[in-house]
Amino acid sequence: MSVLPLLNWLQNTGWATALKESALVFPFIEGSHILALSFSVGMVMMLDLRLLRVSFRSQPVALMMEQLMPWTMSGFGIMLLTGFLLFATQAVKAWGNTFFRIKMILLILSGINALYYQLRYFPKMAEWDRAGTPLGVRAIAVLSLIFWIGVIACGRTMAYEL
Amino acid sequence: MFQPLVEHFVQWCYYSKDYAFIRDSKYGIPIVQSLHLTGITLLLGTVVILNLRLLGLGFRRLPLPLLSEQLWPWMKRGLLLTVCAGILVFLPDPTRYAHSGPFRLKMVLLCLALLFQFTVFRKTVRADVESRLRNTLVASISLVLWFGVGWSGRAIAFFQ
Repeated sequence: MSVLPLLNWLQNTGWATALKESALVFPFIEGSHILALSFSVGMVMMLDLRLLRVSFRSQPVALMMEQLMPWTMSGFGIMLLTGFLLFATQAVKAWGNTFFRIKMILLILSGINALYYQLRYFPKMAEWDRAGTPLGVRAIAVLSLIFWIGVIACGRTMAYEL
Repeated sequence: MFQPLVEHFVQWCYYSKDYAFIRDSKYGIPIVQSLHLTGITLLLGTVVILNLRLLGLGFRRLPLPLLSEQLWPWMKRGLLLTVCAGILVFLPDPTRYAHSGPFRLKMVLLCLALLFQFTVFRKTVRADVESRLRNTLVASISLVLWFGVGWSGRAIAFFQ
């Protein structure tokens, strides 16, 4: 089954067309999508740097996560909402765009990476937090940085081919 | 007096062979734009954390002097990457930017943001004694200036 009819329907809905043709709302949504990077990926980077022990070494990971997470989550909420709206304005073209596809794959990999951290290392945090992060956690942090910078690069590059 | 100087600089950039490879290669501009955006994420990430803390909206369990001490180097690294990549975005295609209203606004706001960041803001996030009023005022100015730079940068793509 092809998703194309669905994408076609999406980009031809009244609100998607209106959004695409709007001289002010579209730039506002796109600008929000980009500037919310400071809340979403910016905060994730800070946690990754802590996991790699290059910053906030004196503070427990548990505390850093607790302080960062609410803002990270609201940041990703804005990203998801604005990202979906941007996608809806040119769903068919975006779907066929190589960099959009790589971006989606990197997002999924990033999600799996974070999920693995939550399942494997988060429950036992009390054991390793003060002692210094295990090698596995550092690998997760490096992968996270690579995936997210990749997401930014693909997101920026796909715009040149739309 | 100012205008001919800008024109001269723009022409020099455009005809310089040194940056032509960025303009002419397929992924030159996307790559420097991606680096610019990665730098912004790091720079604004640290700025947002410090400002949320100044406003009392978050990071309250982390002392301000610790936050500023740990975040300041990463703020500078983000800034360095953003500016270097930004120059590489500008040089290959200077006419597009030099004649753009939003770009000029962006440069003015950037100068103000930098000036504020390394004087009043720096002093405030390193202060031993916190004042609620001062923190709120400084955070508001900082957010308006930095996000003003961001929004005017985005506006280059949409407005003359």
